[in-house]
Amino acid sequence: MKTVDIVERIEGEAKLVCSWKENKISDARIEFLNFRGFEYILQNKPILDSLVYTPRICGICGQAHLKATVEALENIYENVNEALVITNKAKLLREIGLNIEIIDSHIKWFYMFIMPDIAKLSNDIKYNKYEPLKGSLWLNASRVASETIKAIAIIGGQWPHTSYMIPGGVMSDPTLFDLTSMQNYLEQAIIFFENTLGGIDFEEYLAFSNMEDFLKTNGSLIDFKNIAFKNNLEKIGKAYDSHIVLGSSSLFESGKIKIKNISKIDSSKISESSINTFKVNISKKENEYTWSKTALYANEFYETGPLSRALISNRKFIKTIHKEYQDSVFTRVLARMDELAHLLYTTKKLISKVDTSEPSFIKPKYSLNDIETAIGSSFIEASRGSLSHKVEVSKGLIKTYDVITPTVWNLGPGIKDKYGVAQKAIVGLDSISKAEIVLRSFDICSVCTTH
Amino acid sequence: MVDSQDMVKKVFTQKSARIDTNKGEEYYNCLFENAKQRISMLQKQPALKDIDMIDVIESEGINRRDFMKWVSATTATLMLPPMFEPLVAQATELMNRVPVVWIELQDCAGNSEALLRSSAPTVDDLLFDVLSLEFHETLQAAAGHDADRQLEEAVEHFKGKYLLFVEGAIPMANDGKYGTIGASGETFHEHLMRMSKDAAAVVAVGTCATFGGIPAAAPNPTGAVGVMDLVKGKPVVNIPACPANPANMVGVILHFVLTGQIPELDSLLRPKFAFGYRIHDNCERRAHFDAGEFVEEWGDIGAQNNWCLYKVGCKGPMTFNNCSIIRYNEGTNWPVGVGRGCIGCSEPDFWDKYAYERPMANANIKAPTGGVEKTVDEFGLGLLTATTIGIGLHAVASAIAGKKSEQNEEE
Ligand code: SF4
Ligand code: SF4
Repeated sequence: MKTVDIVERIEGEAKLVCSWKENKISDARIEFLNFRGFEYILQNKPILDSLVYTPRICGICGQAHLKATVEALENIYENVNEALVITNKAKLLREIGLNIEIIDSHIKWFYMFIMPDIAKLSNDIKYNKYEPLKGSLWLNASRVASETIKAIAIIGGQWPHTSYMIPGGVMSDPTLFDLTSMQNYLEQAIIFFENTLGGIDFEEYLAFSNMEDFLKTNGSLIDFKNIAFKNNLEKIGKAYDSHIVLGSSSLFESGKIKIKNISKIDSSKISESSINTFKVNISKKENEYTWSKTALYANEFYETGPLSRALISNRKFIKTIHKEYQDSVFTRVLARMDELAHLLYTTKKLISKVDTSEPSFIKPKYSLNDIETAIGSSFIEASRGSLSHKVEVSKGLIKTYDVITPTVWNLGPGIKDKYGVAQKAIVGLDSISKAEIVLRSFDICSVCTTH
Repeated sequence: MVDSQDMVKKVFTQKSARIDTNKGEEYYNCLFENAKQRISMLQKQPALKDIDMIDVIESEGINRRDFMKWVSATTATLMLPPMFEPLVAQATELMNRVPVVWIELQDCAGNSEALLRSSAPTVDDLLFDVLSLEFHETLQAAAGHDADRQLEEAVEHFKGKYLLFVEGAIPMANDGKYGTIGASGETFHEHLMRMSKDAAAVVAVGTCATFGGIPAAAPNPTGAVGVMDLVKGKPVVNIPACPANPANMVGVILHFVLTGQIPELDSLLRPKFAFGYRIHDNCERRAHFDAGEFVEEWGDIGAQNNWCLYKVGCKGPMTFNNCSIIRYNEGTNWPVGVGRGCIGCSEPDFWDKYAYERPMANANIKAPTGGVEKTVDEFGLGLLTATTIGIGLHAVASAIAGKKSEQNEEE
């Protein structure tokens, strides 16, 4: 038997096609059926145009694409031995912008995308507060997210689709007043964490190391845990439990874990396969069913995202939770929310480090247009995991542009007899609603995936 | 939020506003009577949702004074004289009489995000509590087959009455196979045609839905086009920009509630209240443009002093939009505010013509003829073929130092 399910309330839409045997899912296909063709559009465009195009790959993680592009372009300078000088201030403002975007995305994801489904598992009316468009917490969260995102608007001009980074630095030059306003916006998110999400003092939360600590919380996180445990969400959604983090920042370290050991990344081992992917202008073959490609490291599947980041950066609380419940839905969701707290803490610190007297931008000695041919690449940690951009330029124009998004790592199709990460986590489940929750636990972005 | 609202009011009531907003007493009196009738008619209709706007506002801790402030700013945004304020206030309460169906096609969800990110006087309340958003794939509770059903029901039940909001372009190449929706695999094109058939009007939000947007950038691999290329025989309103400004989305709905009609449009189907003037006309850096003070490169002395960004590529003089007044993220800021310059994201073809993040001097575009006082209908489309340059006299004079770049422009 086969069933077709449409998964909405993600960014875009995904189709989940399951085959069933003896009331269990025996095979699962995740299809992304919307395509725009950014990699084709970027070809032959003037190099700096990419700064306007790539943020528009996604309405929710445009900062990540912008940062990935600017760093790929700066990497070109490095590769021709003319590395640019980027001031500390510019670096900080870029990281701060990206962090705020992730903060915003995490708040929204929890309240708008996953909790409505989790709450549906329980009939208790006290969970009506999570109902989309109406529930008090839904509305509250959307308001807090709107407030938080203003902190990006201050340095980026607007959100979504900001373009304030340029090779050599950033265009904006915030005043002390601007920085204080940004702190205030973040402070509101912290208050929200204390009063609503965690229901616990912020500092106290940050010192958590185990489940016992966690049980002291008294907010949405506990609602989540209670419903999750009643429905065995700590037992489902397990994939390979292999993790990869390609980018690094003040909070994240890059690396990978397979079985136990953390090891360094060798970027030449990253590859993309398009065996199961539709091709532009060529009629489709039997096995082609999605616009998503498959991302592999040394020909293996790896999960990417907040859980992977917590494990590789050795964050104690999530490590203990993971020891007990592995890469289950419960751990994955909790890791994302835990990351929210750490990002808020780190980002406030980063803002206080901005030295307004430093320049924001130092003009590159020569233009990218003067470079005959070169290649540049970058790795960024976006909301949903590792994002990489690779650009090849020639005489002022883009020759090729390749983007691998987090969802391609997590939800790309399997190859040959091997399941992709999310496929593996879904096969064996006994209900569609569980399959949907497992799928959502990866925080899917379909528009990024297919770009 | 309040600051930018005051600014809106000031700009629209000032004599210097660049398009002629005054249509004469007779016109407004007539419109006023029509709106009054329309409102009393709507009041008699049952509410789609049983929510009282004033209750909502008060329960959110927004006082009546702030609400009235918002009303007067919004009235000004819609280019209506202050006598309309009580009607706008009433219309706000009646937004739940007009059902809205929102569909996403070949998009990045950026306009939905922008909408979510706005809240004046918490549009969350306006839109989510009061407005009858009958369908929004990303935001609503229902998913999967339930969502399909809900959409069918909304369209059937509100036949001829709902406003259809469309986000995203429509891929036409390869029989529309670059974008399909739902379990049946209906193409975006088929979906749009089916959904728009019984809509009272179709509102295309964002530059993708209006003009094809980035997906339509050369070589347009998926054959992306905008809504107005496909939907014929019924009113289509374009709210371009990338992302579209939520204030303008709310404005169109309010106008519809108030008058039962779509607002007056320009030749590109954009509401004149929002796109009737250029961002350059109301830009906070305009004084520096007129004084010939330009940022020559990012980080220089001009940048530190917020001088005009024309020479680092600002497309403000050729871009029709109200972001210099409304700003983004509830009036927090806008691109020129951080020294970035406008990329012309509300203009057709901006992706191929205007997207350059580099000095205009090196860009392939020409500034429009005729100075900065023309309105969109006078040169909206003509702009695309304009060949001569005419920036302000002072600007030219000041540019002598940068002679080389000026020459490039002339080439
Ligand atoms: S050119 Fe741009 S920055 Fe200068 S005044 Fe016009 S809109 Fe403002
Ligand atoms: S300033 Fe220009 S680029 Fe920016 S949002 Fe407004 S129209 Fe678009």
